Order: sequence, then C-alpha cells, then structure tokens
Amino acid sequence: MTSWTEMQNRSFYEATARQRAKYLLDEGTFHELVGPEAGLSSPHLPVLGEAVSFDDGVVTGVGKIGRRPVFVISQEGRFIGGSVGEVGGAKMVGVFQSALALYEKAAAKYPGDESRLPAILISFETGGVRLHEANAGLLAHAEVMEQIQICRGKIPVLSLVGSKLGCFGGMGFVSGATDLTIMSELGRVGLTGPEVIEEVLGKREFDASNRALIYRTTGGKHRHIMGSANYLAADTIHAFRAQVQRILALPYAEITAHRSIGSPALVEEQLGLTALAAEIKPKDAAEVWAYYGNANCETIPDLSTDEFLQHVKTRKGGSAS
Amino acid sequence: MLHELTFTFPGGTRTLPPAWSHTGVVGSGDLEILLRQADLGGGMEFHVVTPVRGFDEVWEKILGRFAAEANLGDVRIQINDNNATPFVVSLRLKQALSEAMEGGNAS
Repeated sequence: MTSWTEMQNRSFYEATARQRAKYLLDEGTFHELVGPEAGLSSPHLPVLGEAVSFDDGVVTGVGKIGRRPVFVISQEGRFIGGSVGEVGGAKMVGVFQSALALYEKAAAKYPGDESRLPAILISFETGGVRLHEANAGLLAHAEVMEQIQICRGKIPVLSLVGSKLGCFGGMGFVSGATDLTIMSELGRVGLTGPEVIEEVLGKREFDASNRALIYRTTGGKHRHIMGSANYLAADTIHAFRAQVQRILALPYAEITAHRSIGSPALVEEQLGLTALAAEIKPKDAAEVWAYYGNANCETIPDLSTDEFLQHVKTRKGGSAS
Repeated sequence: MLHELTFTFPGGTRTLPPAWSHTGVVGSGDLEILLRQADLGGGMEFHVVTPVRGFDEVWEKILGRFAAEANLGDVRIQINDNNATPFVVSLRLKQALSEAMEGGNAS
C-alpha cells in the first residue's frame, strides 16, 4: 500500500475525498467518523433509481496536526458532483457539534493553551445542493452556516479548495463564511457555475467551454488577487497540509482576522467591491488584476504558483503567503 | 427503484484479516466495495445495489469467478455500483481484496 509519506506528494486536485481527509492530518492519526462501515447512505436516491454511496459523498473524521485535534470534512466530487444531501449535510453538522463539544472540554482542561484546541478543515469539492433532495440539501447549507457562526471566537474553520470540481453553488457561500480559504491555482470558487451562467444568460455573457476564461474568473490566482483566497498553495497534499500547519500555529485572533463576513466593516468592504465593479465595468478578470497594480496580466495564468506569489499585487496588498 | 441483488457462494479457506475494509468511489462508471467479516457458516455473500437492470447473470458470473479466486470464507461483500462495466467490476474487486488482505484501510 502507498505510504503516508508517498501520498504527501500526490496531486490534491486528483485525490479522493478520503485521501484528502486522511493525508492532511498527521500520519496514523485519522479516525473516520460515520465511515462506510456505518452504511449511512441517502434514503432519497434509491426511489429515484440513483446510485448510492456508503458515505453519501462526504468523508468526516478527526485526527491530529501537532498537538491540536483537527476535524475534517471532505467532499467527494465523483459522487453526484459532490452534491450536499440530507445524510452528507447531517454528517457535516455533526462534525461541528463534535468539535464544539471537544472545544469546551479542551478549553477547560488547558486554559490559555490554544495549541490544544480543536480546528476544523473543510475540503470542498461540490456544486452545492443535491437537487434530488433539494429541501434537505438547502437546509444542510443553512445548518452548516449556523455552525460556522457558533464556532466564532472558539474554533478556527479553514476552507481548502483545490479539487477537480471546485466549490460552487451554496457551498461557495459556505466557504466564504469560514475564517479563511486556502486554494491552489487549480481550485475554483464561485456561486453560479459556468454552465449555469451560460444556460441562463447566454454564451456572450459567459462561454462555459472556455476553460481559460473559467480559470481567470473563478480560479485560485484570481481569488488570491481579490483576497477571497487568503493563501495559495501548490497542487500537492503536502503543500495544503504545510499551509494548514503554518496557519494553525498562529494565534486564533490572527487566523479569524482573515474573515470576509461577520462585521459591519466587512459588509462595507464587500459593498465597496460591488461599487468598484460598477465603476470600472471590467470585461475580463485581467482588467481587475491590472487595476490592483499588476503588469503583464496576460502572462499571469502561465506563471507557476511560486513565481505568481513572488510578483503578484493583491487587493489587500502583497501576498498573504 | 435501485436494483438489489444477493448472491451466495461456498467460501474458501482464508479469512478476512480486518473486521472490514472499504475500497473505491461511486463515480460514474465506477463502484465501491465494502468487505466485512460475517458469520456465514464459512460461505461468501455478495450484496449488490445498482441502477442497472438486466445483467443479473453477468453479475453472478463475475462474482462467482472472484469468489473462487479469492478463497475467502465468512465474508459479506457489499457493492454500491454506478454503471461500472464488467471489466471495472473485476478490477475493483481485485483491488479491494488486495487492500483488505494487507490489513484493510479501516481507520
């Protein structure tokens, strides 16, 4: 079997949900919660004649990074587009509840020692709600949002986006509601996916067959320039893990300072971006990159992650990495 | 409705080292396999859940051949299929068996 060390150099983009969950954590510490042996699959899909999965497309578990207990939620894009249904949604919420319960115990046992407190990682690969079980899926989004708010002031919640399907639909909102986001340049975050935009507004508005356009508009580099991807990592499990390690070594106040929602000042900041879009009316993401002071914007998509991070100018100034 | 199939075969002499082992992802044209120790009087039982109808005999042949090769007893094998071809089914079964015999991937 492939060793933990060998798996570290594997592509994050290609890794399955279970591989991401297991190999982001310290070697040998991953313990799956409600794993495949529990056989908790969707009760809604069989009546529709749709294939089911023992984990309902969400891998949940707990392990360690250093001294910290770290909970992981990892979505599997290969199973119905990583869509969130009733069971998968409940598993996600269960992770937050377990983490919060552990937080109370750990905070009482180790007062003043943040290195012993739990953290939550969400490795997104999803198009959002599973339309086959739409109401339950929507409700799950709302419940996860609520849990993220309950975690405020207690548990760092980190979004990781670098898998094949990206993070779209309602889960795009959810990733934006966490403390911070780590992306690779292959990661994509958005609300309405490219195909849906083209379907509704036409090919002139957005050509969903234009992969370069999709990456310029929703990809990790663009998100990093805009500030919604706080950190950009190379496409290996190790690179994501190393970034998580660096972040979890910071004081909680510094981690949560990256939040993009949750205060009147942040609402003003977001509204400012909307006003800016109306003012400069960009026809392409590259025009926004130029607005923030980047030169030779046409070369940005071809730069390696390292080169990009060395030279890029971002909305928030400099590179967060 | 999803199609559910159950097949039983006489088991072999080997037993499954871990209590259970899981392999695979239910992607399009793919499947997942859960092997579990079970008190089946030495036998081997397969439980298949699939959207595909009309291939019961093909399943029986593939699983019967695998049962003979695996030489395992007291094992229940559950499969969630999503339109995998017979070749992919055989390949994943071999992969699942090899991972299970190496100690499985249960955490």
